[in-house]
Amino acid sequence: MQSAADIERLIDHHPREGVFRVHRDAFRSEAVFELEMRHVFEGSWIYVGHASQLPRPHDFLCSWIGRRPVVLMRAADGSLGCFINSCRHKGALVCHGSRGNAKAHVCRYHGWAYDSSGRNVAIKARAQGAYPEAFDAESHDLVRVPRFGEYRGFLFASLAADVAPLEAFLGDARVFIDLVVDQSAQGIELLPGDVSYTYRANWKLQLENTLDAYHLTSVHPSYFRLLDRRAAMGERSDVAPAVWQGHAGRELETEMGSFGFEQGHALVWTKAPVERHPLFACLAELEQRVGALRADWMLRTRQFCLFPNLQLGSSAALQMRVIRPLAVDLTEMTTYCVAPVGESPEARRQRLRQYEDFYNPSGLATPDDTATYEDCQEGFRSGEIEWQQGTLRGTGAMRAGADEHARELGIAPATSMHGAFDTADETVYHALYLAWQRLLARGAPR
Amino acid sequence: MSALPPPEAASVLYREAHYLDAQRWDDWLALYREDAEFWMPAWKDAHTLTASPDREVSLIYYSARAGLEDRVWRVRSGLSVASLTLPRTAHAVSGILLADGAPGGMLELRSTWTCHVYDVERATQHVFFGRYEHRLRRESGGWLIAAKKIVLLNDRIPTMIDFYCV
Repeated sequence: MQSAADIERLIDHHPREGVFRVHRDAFRSEAVFELEMRHVFEGSWIYVGHASQLPRPHDFLCSWIGRRPVVLMRAADGSLGCFINSCRHKGALVCHGSRGNAKAHVCRYHGWAYDSSGRNVAIKARAQGAYPEAFDAESHDLVRVPRFGEYRGFLFASLAADVAPLEAFLGDARVFIDLVVDQSAQGIELLPGDVSYTYRANWKLQLENTLDAYHLTSVHPSYFRLLDRRAAMGERSDVAPAVWQGHAGRELETEMGSFGFEQGHALVWTKAPVERHPLFACLAELEQRVGALRADWMLRTRQFCLFPNLQLGSSAALQMRVIRPLAVDLTEMTTYCVAPVGESPEARRQRLRQYEDFYNPSGLATPDDTATYEDCQEGFRSGEIEWQQGTLRGTGAMRAGADEHARELGIAPATSMHGAFDTADETVYHALYLAWQRLLARGAPR
Repeated sequence: MSALPPPEAASVLYREAHYLDAQRWDDWLALYREDAEFWMPAWKDAHTLTASPDREVSLIYYSARAGLEDRVWRVRSGLSVASLTLPRTAHAVSGILLADGAPGGMLELRSTWTCHVYDVERATQHVFFGRYEHRLRRESGGWLIAAKKIVLLNDRIPTMIDFYCV
């Protein structure tokens, strides 16, 4: 068990001297990983599913809170519940597969049954069981996860009861969920075909990389050069032009900015060419419905981390990633293509092709990311090196509180920065790691 | 679906496996018609594949061979860190049968495949496996692939997957 002093030591933060460093043990220590599971994933709010995955009464969706198997169920009255997916009798899983529809869930072992509100509705041969009174006095219902809530279709739960209300946990990060959900008057949908992959490295490498504009030109040149190659071949009917593929070849972003929030959420935005964006064709409608400011933000690239396990990436297409740490050096990712409901068939096709090209583990960009995380994890074996040097780009442009971009959105982040795209800010990690450290410290013995 | 394919049609599948394992990319591409569709759908649930590349997510979808040429270009470019040291692969194709209902001048083949993948840098290995659906079309020089659908059965992907290991 790590002491509070050990947790304190993981971040070296002296703002006046311009120091912010993350210790490599954050990525390689089994003890730190155990604390993360207990206090970040199993001790605070985490994302567990999307309401559109269980739209009808009696639909269920299996999920995870840290290491705990849980099941989300929509009851007969349409209300949603989140339960530990384990029979009260002997512990077997009650719901199987990733999702389905069932009025009753019968345990495969001894046949105890539960309805879609989690209530125990049958204990096989109960009358003949000669049970003592103490048994009857106990609840046999599925155990409800202490805290469960929804924000605009995104479902969150906490195994710890003593957490802030969901609204306070999400805070101003809700604005960036709104910028996704409001892309159509009818909301958004997760397109059929979620894709899952694992990588042999720490989960926070994915957390960081999503916010990392610095790696684009060194990790993804094959993707960007491929866009050049396609553009030089004239109009190809077999592939959809990507957002970065301007009329005169590739156009990279010129401007960027970032926000870090006290709860650990973080966002990096850039201004990219918009003509190839799947939303461009309905820009006038968007501006009318959500206003010019929010329409402009919808067309910016936005890499958004809802701490700790949900990412909404909006660049080549709109992607939702869910991070599930399996071990200190093994992580499972589940990824979804998100689209506005009612999109035109042409825009939908373009979105899918951009999504598959860039985001799939079978695509032309994500494999270069994940292979690089595995390189980092191998490099972390160099135990003598204690500190990462990857959290200081952008320090001179960063300020505490809101900058003009935050103010126009009406949000109050802990840190903001904006500047030229090449600044490739890294201060976006500061609030995230400080929130991470606070959660770990909560559980450390003093 | 009971007939065995003509040997020269089956040999297209065997040559494809051979060329991929030998990294003979140009020979591999030459097995495809220019307008060949290449499709590896994703899964919707335990036993249902995504059915429409225009409305649902695919693992890979190209409506023409140019998409495969892009991938070969990327591997050769030296610019993809995930492709710098390619794994050693061994494809096995078996159980090739003719499916009914192919239009004139075409053959529909069904088969089973495995691909053993050995990561040389990390000395780790895994296996991808699944089923192929090939549509072949008779050209002057022999049979060419007009469409290929790859059903990947073990789809929780370790790190990455690309054209050379399916």
